[in-house]
Amino acid sequence: MTEQPLEVLIVEDEVLLATELEFLVEEAGCRAIGHAMSSDEAYDLATTFKPDLALVDVHLRDGPTGVEVARRIAENCSGVALFMTANIKRLPADFAGACGVIGKPYSEHGMKMALSYLRVCLRNGRAPGRPPAGLELAPVFAKRWGAFDYPLVV
Amino acid sequence: MGRDGTKHDMTDLTKSSGIDDPRVDLEAVVAERTQALTEALAQKTALLHEVDHRVKNNLQLISSLLLLQNRRAGDPAVKASLRGVLERINAIATVHRRLFQSEDVERFDVSAFVRDLISDMAGLSARDDIQIRLDLERVDVAAAKAAPLALVVSELLSNALCHAFPEGRAGEIFVGITRLGGDFRIEIADDGVGLETSARKLGFGLTIVQLLCQQLKARCETTAALPGTRVVVQLPVNGAHS
Ligand SMILES: Nc1ncnc2c1ncn2[C@@H]1O[C@H](COP(=O)(O)OP(=O)(O)OP(=O)(O)O)[C@@H](O)[C@H]1O
Ligand SMILES: [Mg+2]
Repeated sequence: MTEQPLEVLIVEDEVLLATELEFLVEEAGCRAIGHAMSSDEAYDLATTFKPDLALVDVHLRDGPTGVEVARRIAENCSGVALFMTANIKRLPADFAGACGVIGKPYSEHGMKMALSYLRVCLRNGRAPGRPPAGLELAPVFAKRWGAFDYPLVV
Repeated sequence: MGRDGTKHDMTDLTKSSGIDDPRVDLEAVVAERTQALTEALAQKTALLHEVDHRVKNNLQLISSLLLLQNRRAGDPAVKASLRGVLERINAIATVHRRLFQSEDVERFDVSAFVRDLISDMAGLSARDDIQIRLDLERVDVAAAKAAPLALVVSELLSNALCHAFPEGRAGEIFVGITRLGGDFRIEIADDGVGLETSARKLGFGLTIVQLLCQQLKARCETTAALPGTRVVVQLPVNGAHS
């Protein structure tokens, strides 16, 4: 495969989480292109580097600004955002334009599976199957990628 | 008629308080009280969510710290210990991830978090030659029992993944959860090498299982599956075993 690795921006104010997440991103075959801790940093990095995917925590250094970050990335950049939050229920119904959410505390394996899954979705415009455990897709994206066209396997 | 037998003149009373209907007074008091209670409840719920949020974030922090430390560790024995701690923290995290995601915060679907747990553990083991077969019925337990239960399942599954199939030996692990009268039954079986009958050594993993089963008032039985090992944990859904 000579396919370009997915470029990922990490938006997370907890430095230890972000540091470990960079390793996970690389291990999942993606490329970590930067790390932002506040909404301003996130906009700057997103407009400069145009990442394919931004992993966005809801609570950043300047408050609960992650939702707005996701919305602006969806509107102004070509990439998509994925929320990482402990409070899934507080996200807006439209996911602020983000493609989905991974609940905290996520597991090492859960995050890697989510990244590989999204890589296929973003590259092919089509889901390779149902979303892996721990990943919840926004309804719009689940439909766009045909994530639920697959039978439920138990 | 008043209680003392005297006749109160209600018209006089309402006139003096400036209200035409005395019920208005009562309604106002009820409305005020209801609002105070509603506010108190909202505040309590908000606090609960705040604490839940912190617990989840701290669990994430703990596992990230352990993962980072594991990356730096060179000694395989140290790595193995860290992996063990990570696995146990992950079992607890799996439960907390699902907490507050459903409307009911008191009850907990065991099959849902066991399914997550299996996906993580089987995925991390990277053993494509081990098939996992599931038969999971929906069973709810009290939220307080969820974390110890997740730890028990994690230890037993970890043993099946690590010990039953030495490198090169393929096989199957079965995980079943069913209701059984007032109890529910968790079975973890493998068709691997089986337990050595001679000197049954209890490591830290099986010690944890033993202690938590005591706490949960559960019965844990290990039998030879010929081939392999079958462990059955039977847990009273409400109350204790007699
Ligand atoms: N399913 C199984 N198949 C074969 N052997 C098993 C199985 N489960 C347990 N054992 C044996 O029982 C021993 C004790 O297990 P126990 O979980 O207590 O400790 P451990 O797995 O060696 O280490 P840890 O404390 O990290 O769990 C194991 O070392 C293994 O030899
Ligand atoms: Mg063990």
